[in-house]
Amino acid sequence: MKVEVGDTIPEWHMPSVRAERMRTMAAILRDPNPVHWDPRVVEKLGFGHHTINQGPLGLSYMINMLHEWAGHESIRRLYMTFPKVVLDEDDITAQGTVTAVRDENGETLVDCDIWLLRSDGDKPLQGKATVCIS
Amino acid sequence: MTQSSLPDESEIRALVGHEFPGGRYTIAHWENFLLTECTGAPPLPGDLAHPVALFHMPILGAQTSIGEMFALGQAESDFSIGIESYDWEFFAPMREELEYDVTGRITSAERREEDGRTFDRIQFQFDLHEPDNRHAARTTITWHYRRNLT
Repeated sequence: MKVEVGDTIPEWHMPSVRAERMRTMAAILRDPNPVHWDPRVVEKLGFGHHTINQGPLGLSYMINMLHEWAGHESIRRLYMTFPKVVLDEDDITAQGTVTAVRDENGETLVDCDIWLLRSDGDKPLQGKATVCIS
Repeated sequence: MTQSSLPDESEIRALVGHEFPGGRYTIAHWENFLLTECTGAPPLPGDLAHPVALFHMPILGAQTSIGEMFALGQAESDFSIGIESYDWEFFAPMREELEYDVTGRITSAERREEDGRTFDRIQFQFDLHEPDNRHAARTTITWHYRRNLT
């Protein structure tokens, strides 16, 4: 696998974030926060009749992108910030670019900027990743 | 959960060094299957666990919960928590049906004022070790406990 600084990572698309997946996720996470499963609560917060995606679930779309690009055992580090929320029915695309390629302890590591792009142009999640390609 | 009064700053600072009981956690096959399905990906090959498991399994393995972490910082409500960042380090691929040893602690807790808003910034760190004591992963969760929202 040949990678250079500035390369674009093939994107990963989630055409409609699904509320039922948030509910399953809430059960697995034992997450009591109703913003992930009760749209009446979210409506009172001003986000409309929706539920709010769990932060890790949004991050997982970028993991899926990295897996398809660099392999299922490639991820070494993920650093993620969450400037905005992702809601059910959002059209989301995981994207990224290569910022550095370096050798460390016999491995070739690739540093990347990664983010989620919503169809309205917002980037609700933004962060960095390091993957191993050798 | 409601906590209407501003907790004393010394109570927040005193959280640094808090250790969770710790324990063991095994990602069951069914759990990994459903978790991976939630991400929109097909099942991973072999016994690989989806890396997104690095959010919940350290928390549960360390014998705590999201609810307890909210309560430790005296969150005003479930809606008062903001995520600053998640920092996940993988030293080995995570696998289902493998028993991990999990430890966790609070590494930072401080009050901050930004743009006229008060919040307490609390950082949790969890470590996972495989049965042979190999360090498998570390996760650092940094949350903001926003104050005086009501």
